[in-house]
Amino acid sequence: MENNQQQGAQAQSGPYPGGAGGSAGAGAGAGAAPFQHLLQQQQQQLQMFWSYQRQEIEHVNDFKNHQLPLARIKKIMKADEDVRMISAEAPILFAKACELFILELTIRSWLHADENKRRTLQKNDIAAAITRTDIFDFLVDIVPRDEIKDDAALVGATASGVPYYYPPIGQPAGMMIGRPAVDPATGVYVQPPSQAWQSVWQSAAEDTPYGTGAQGNLDGQSMEF
Amino acid sequence: METGGFHGYRKLPNTTAGLKLSVSDMNMRQQVASSDHSAATGEENECTVREQDRFMPIANVIRIMRKILPPHAKISDDAKETIQECVSEYISFITGEANERCQREQRKTITAEDVLWAMSKLGFDDYIEPLTMYLHRYRELEGDRTSMRGEPLGKRTVEYATLGVATAFVPPPYHHHNGYFGAAMPMGTYVREAPPNTASSHHHHHHHHHHARGISNAHEPNARSI
Repeated sequence: MENNQQQGAQAQSGPYPGGAGGSAGAGAGAGAAPFQHLLQQQQQQLQMFWSYQRQEIEHVNDFKNHQLPLARIKKIMKADEDVRMISAEAPILFAKACELFILELTIRSWLHADENKRRTLQKNDIAAAITRTDIFDFLVDIVPRDEIKDDAALVGATASGVPYYYPPIGQPAGMMIGRPAVDPATGVYVQPPSQAWQSVWQSAAEDTPYGTGAQGNLDGQSMEF
Repeated sequence: METGGFHGYRKLPNTTAGLKLSVSDMNMRQQVASSDHSAATGEENECTVREQDRFMPIANVIRIMRKILPPHAKISDDAKETIQECVSEYISFITGEANERCQREQRKTITAEDVLWAMSKLGFDDYIEPLTMYLHRYRELEGDRTSMRGEPLGKRTVEYATLGVATAFVPPPYHHHNGYFGAAMPMGTYVREAPPNTASSHHHHHHHHHHARGISNAHEPNARSI
């Protein structure tokens, strides 16, 4: 089965450094083992993502150059007629929250593209990320049903019907979001196994987490009204 | 590029490469400038959300996406637009929940704490710790320059210190605060209370709920612009 081959290939790549938390064993396995291994890898990547975000926020010192324009955030908030007044800190907090949201949705979508050996992030990857993640239920109407059906054909997790949400095998049913129980002290600074994380470390090495001159220009332009 | 049932609005030229950020940036700057000019015509335009104002600028969204993607990754145009839609939906989803809390407690101003509370209620638990740190750090660093209170993350029973409210009372200690934010955000248009005109109100109070699957509540921000 093509899907099994893909999962096997995915399992073979990216050995994880041994830590106090879950360790990545050998990739070889029949039946559901590669799938479960794949899910564990994805969980671990998401945990590393959140650990990295906490580290980055600890060292933030620039609140003027936001990744997203505050005026636009305010307009979207005010699109709700019931919203009356907004404190100054709320759009600033939303700017960071939306950045985290984009990053989480993007990495979850990329994991799906990577499962299918593609290098182009597509809409059905986003649809797959939305269907697999409980907290993204409110986004279901944004992606049409045929995108989700494509996901069903590709993943083949269920024999019949369109899979909407399936709990990871061997783990309690519920949210798939992995919360880091223990931050591996050495794991944070070790080269992450997946290529997706190389860009994170590269951006960390560049030490330019908050925008360029272009962002400043965007902010400047938004001040005109 | 994959063609699907995308019902969004294309604000940028549909280039096949999709990777020329410089061109995208230039187009976005022009579009933002155009949006700013058209939005400055008065109060009515402020209430009517324009198409280009319904989404985050696509260049900013792409830049954030690329921070987490490997260098060889490509992003299709429909994926970019889908993420744009998702971000606006996320803001509206959280804001709706935060606003409900404000109204229950008979407060008029949505605070950062309300936003954090709404995220926690809607299941975004992983976001609470980094955003709480971010807010604390913001108050540590920016509070000194703006004389903002460095009070801990607690519930505020009264909110009189809203910035930029034309008719609200702004205490004298916040004069410097206003002056500082004037450099980053336009004072006159930052926060404005919507006039209590029921004729202009096209929608009734609605609820954003976590299990609103299949219900069109999730698309209300889009329906509102029709």
